[in-house]
Amino acid sequence: MAAGESRSGVTEAAALEPVRRSVRVRATAERAFRVFAEEMGTWWPKTHHIGRSPMVDIVVEGRAGGAVYTMQEDGTPCPWGCVLAWEPPHRFLLAWQITPEWTYEPDLARSSEVEVLFTPADDGTTLVELEHRAIERHGANAAAMRGAVGSEGGWNGVLALYGAKVGAA
Amino acid sequence: MVSDSLRFVQTYHQQQLDALGDETRRALLERLRRGPLPVGQLAKGLPVSRPAVSQHLRVLKQAKLVHADTVGTRNYYRLDSQGFAALRSYLDRFWAEALEAFKAKVEEE
Repeated sequence: MAAGESRSGVTEAAALEPVRRSVRVRATAERAFRVFAEEMGTWWPKTHHIGRSPMVDIVVEGRAGGAVYTMQEDGTPCPWGCVLAWEPPHRFLLAWQITPEWTYEPDLARSSEVEVLFTPADDGTTLVELEHRAIERHGANAAAMRGAVGSEGGWNGVLALYGAKVGAA
Repeated sequence: MVSDSLRFVQTYHQQQLDALGDETRRALLERLRRGPLPVGQLAKGLPVSRPAVSQHLRVLKQAKLVHADTVGTRNYYRLDSQGFAALRSYLDRFWAEALEAFKAKVEEE
């Protein structure tokens, strides 16, 4: 009986697929790319910010390898990503360097990716397609952090060790 | 910011991410994508012992990533759709909200 449920197993596996979202905007691809990637701070939900101080703006350095960080009210930057591909006005690929503990992840191998494609249409609108993928890479991080201490649940202690390790590297 | 952090941690489901952060467990999940299997078949060809596979399955079960059905004397494991849905839901909701805000901004005169 259970073996006959294989169909549902296949369907359920779709949940491991990337997060995909798209939106059509009344703007040229040039403008859509600029507002999305260069003026991110003008629309980014301010509640979704990992720093200690409130968010003022988001800086995206417009080149592959460029830093992505939030400027905070206390004047300090808070890094949370980097540019993996910068191809205006069609494609923007961002490393999502945010750990499951809502802190900065310096290791790209333990970061997910956000790809955004901008496709202009004849009517002057642009289709913006977003894919957030490789989310499971954050899991390797979580497991390594917990494994380093070898205990269940002691997240504060693990984070302290992790912070020390990052600081030493 | 504290409440946002808590919300993020809850919705990010650290237990599930932790469970996914192991090569053997990811291999087990990969095998289950094709449908339910008993532990013997799941363990076949893996470079770990059968008790180790059972232990990994327990971790996946606790994280609500797999579900076990008992048929006769055998346990069949299958993917747990609820667990995976919860894992992705935070980012899915976040991007829905963010893209709406982006659209409003980019269409301003």
